[in-house]
Amino acid sequence: MEIVVLIVVFAGLFALGVPIAFSIGLSTLAAMVLTMDFLPAVTTIAQRMAGGLNSFALLAIPLFIVSGNLMAQGGIARRLIEFSKALIGTVPGGLAYVNVISCTFFGAISGSSVAATTAVGGFMIPEMKNEGYEKNFTAAVTVSAATTGLLIPPSNTLIVYAVASGSVSVAALFVAGYAPGILISLAIVLVCGYYAKRHDLPACERVSAREAVARTIAALPCLFLIVLVIGGILAGIFTATEAGAIAVLYALFLSTAIYREIKLADIAQICLKSAQTTAVVMFLIAASIAMSWILAYLNIPALVAESLVGISENPIVILLLINLVLLVVGIFMDMTPAVLIFTPIFLPVALNLGMSPLHFGIMLVLNLCIGLCTPPVGTILFVGCALAKTTINKMVRPMIPMYVAMFAVLMLITFIPEFSEGLPRFFGLIE
Amino acid sequence: MRSLERAVDAALRACLILLVVTLVASVAWQVFSRYLLADPSSWTEELARFLLIWIGMLGAGYAFRQHAHLGLELLPQKLKGIPARVLRHFIVLSVALFAVAVLGIGGGNLVALTWELRQYSAVLGVPIAWVYSVIPLTGAVIVFYCIVLTFETGERATYEEET
Repeated sequence: MEIVVLIVVFAGLFALGVPIAFSIGLSTLAAMVLTMDFLPAVTTIAQRMAGGLNSFALLAIPLFIVSGNLMAQGGIARRLIEFSKALIGTVPGGLAYVNVISCTFFGAISGSSVAATTAVGGFMIPEMKNEGYEKNFTAAVTVSAATTGLLIPPSNTLIVYAVASGSVSVAALFVAGYAPGILISLAIVLVCGYYAKRHDLPACERVSAREAVARTIAALPCLFLIVLVIGGILAGIFTATEAGAIAVLYALFLSTAIYREIKLADIAQICLKSAQTTAVVMFLIAASIAMSWILAYLNIPALVAESLVGISENPIVILLLINLVLLVVGIFMDMTPAVLIFTPIFLPVALNLGMSPLHFGIMLVLNLCIGLCTPPVGTILFVGCALAKTTINKMVRPMIPMYVAMFAVLMLITFIPEFSEGLPRFFGLIE
Repeated sequence: MRSLERAVDAALRACLILLVVTLVASVAWQVFSRYLLADPSSWTEELARFLLIWIGMLGAGYAFRQHAHLGLELLPQKLKGIPARVLRHFIVLSVALFAVAVLGIGGGNLVALTWELRQYSAVLGVPIAWVYSVIPLTGAVIVFYCIVLTFETGERATYEEET
């Protein structure tokens, strides 16, 4: 009964346009007042919300948001693009590859796919349009390539998963994200290659050897951030959260002292923008934690596990089913609440099948990345759409090969654990 | 009403900037004090966690006014005229309901309970009620903005319909 109310109230409010965080909160409230008195119900929700945010691991998120915003404005994206152009050289369809590689690099220094879409897409989409690329294709490339940033560390979504699962370290997840993120990026490169051949796309201008060296030197300080953040975490010098603060200081130093593209006056604005983004994510997290509490209270995870096992005993079928449900969830729900609400439901099932919580987390995040690029709630799809001045409807067609490519990688990641577990095991982060 | 709104906006902005700067500084200080001073400070972690609660809550109030919360905009964008207006009021009313019931009454009760029980934080020794006080405060901010949005008439409301 309570669960029906929960789902109906959530779906109804969400469809009518009530912000997701409030739809989650109100449906939780509706289910709670059915199980207990009003005052304990509202107090418990308030307490779960604040208590959920009281976490040192989550603190990494605002820090990586601040450093991402500093880097998006600090001329770092442009230098990464110039560097990628030197790497690619004169291949037909070069700018499409440059776009994918720049997004991947940007993902490796920032934790948010929205930051990557805006920072890289802001330069690449107009440039590709000028060179005669079809605008919907350029937006599709940017949007799908930007999702790699959610797998390649630092990644805010992997931090959320670490909190939701409660048993995997952020460091292990960060290292585990590299191979799947790079696989996605390769898959999109393949799609671009096919597209370039069919549409006879132009090659980039030739970059002289001297210019290539100059661009590499200009990009090195940005790329050093990867060494600093991930190296520092792996060497045990600081925690993932502390790495976030180091990333902020380094990005600040880079953009004010070295590249000189941010003035001190801009910093207040960047802080405010970061506070707003942080709050949107945190409020969603807080509401989702409250909802996940009532779901556990109603014993939903056990019921779902039972019915999944009832459908089939075959692990492959169950994993495919879980992926299917998550794909549908990803289409309608933002990533953060999806991770927080569905981890407690599906993780026990996955563990029963012999999956490690690390492997499950990477699969979950990669799966939801696909949903991030689908209408009606694909956050970065809207950003890419606005940058390319096109409509969602027109973007669906060029997105289809991207979905197929990402889905193929999802299947590889789901059924070959080594892609996720190899690197963390090599660094001794898991057994 | 307009000038009051501007004052609330400005106060929120100033608070949020200050909170973010303090958050970055305290986590950075945690690393530096451990390696450079060889004297790790224990209060930084707790302070940073409390700051996160404050940013998450208070910022959510600010983000509501900025229309920054994620949602499905399909229906509000499709409707026109009176149905659009009714729907907009319904959305604002739903948000206000949550702000009053959960943040205001629930959060307020939480503050009262922790105050009566004299709960103090482990390291800094501040009353937990102070930390939680941001919940009813955010409720008040959101209700205030809901009132602003409901009684907002004329050019601004139509402007928002167009954009």
